[in-house]
Amino acid sequence: MPALPQLYPYKAGPIEPIVLPGETVGVWVNKRYTFFEVLYIEGITRSDPLEFDFGAIAAQALTAVLPLALLDMPNAEFAQYRAAVIDDISVILYQGRADQRHKLGSRVATYTKYTDLLDPDGHSGEFYVFEQEHAFGQAGNQTDYPITTARMVFWGFRYVLQELKQWTWLSKLPTVWTRVPATAHL
Amino acid sequence: MATTYVKPAKGIRKVSAIIAVAAANTPEVLYQRTTGGTNPRTVILRKLMIYNNTGANAVVTVGVGLGVAFAAIIPPVYSTNLFDNEWTEDDLPVDEVGVDDDLTVQATVAGVQVQAEVEEIGS
Repeated sequence: MPALPQLYPYKAGPIEPIVLPGETVGVWVNKRYTFFEVLYIEGITRSDPLEFDFGAIAAQALTAVLPLALLDMPNAEFAQYRAAVIDDISVILYQGRADQRHKLGSRVATYTKYTDLLDPDGHSGEFYVFEQEHAFGQAGNQTDYPITTARMVFWGFRYVLQELKQWTWLSKLPTVWTRVPATAHL
Repeated sequence: MATTYVKPAKGIRKVSAIIAVAAANTPEVLYQRTTGGTNPRTVILRKLMIYNNTGANAVVTVGVGLGVAFAAIIPPVYSTNLFDNEWTEDDLPVDEVGVDDDLTVQATVAGVQVQAEVEEIGS
């Protein structure tokens, strides 16, 4: 008997889809899960179009919180992303605009060159974008000199969905489903 | 009894600008360590490159601190006129701790060109 694939969010190692076509996901947006069947999955390669430049940053300075609109998906789709910074910067991820991801009680973990160094597959920084629910980023220049580019690159998988209206978050849950944290869990 | 080994450092490699030593026997900054994060990083010297076309042989010393506070972190190296010199990780002292400071350099002859490769430990 073939072994079942071990698929789940944030899985260590090279990125894999978190479900298979035909399976059910609950996408966390607006503080509730909405349920979908996954119809189709395809890869999003780490490539030039998936690179975002926060621009020039003065020494030790921060950018504004900028929308990562390049990561937006069409309606009824979400994407699973991993990310790495290319320049010597530190990036805070937001989903929505004022909600930081990877946060602790008093600190927020960021993406840096050291994240890539110790977690080359990027699983600890995995995140999800549903439709046009922007991710946002804020970059800080780690260095003591001005930098002209502050780049971050993304890769992952695209998921095409069909809503399952028979399931609802507050009253009737599917028996088996995978959680997709597409916004910050406050 | 088991032997304990120090783990290799896990840092990112960066390089200094190529500087031409401005004045003889006067320390100046060679590599400015990165301090923009939550905590400043630690600097480990991994490679030293020198070119000397000043017309005279020179003694070059890498350390920390400026002026009378200059303190060498490796022994002085000798740079022969019209020669280039590289000291790589195999040649430099093994260091998994580093210094929490800018690297500075002084030379006995002005005009010697120096570049450092460092490993920065931090987050």
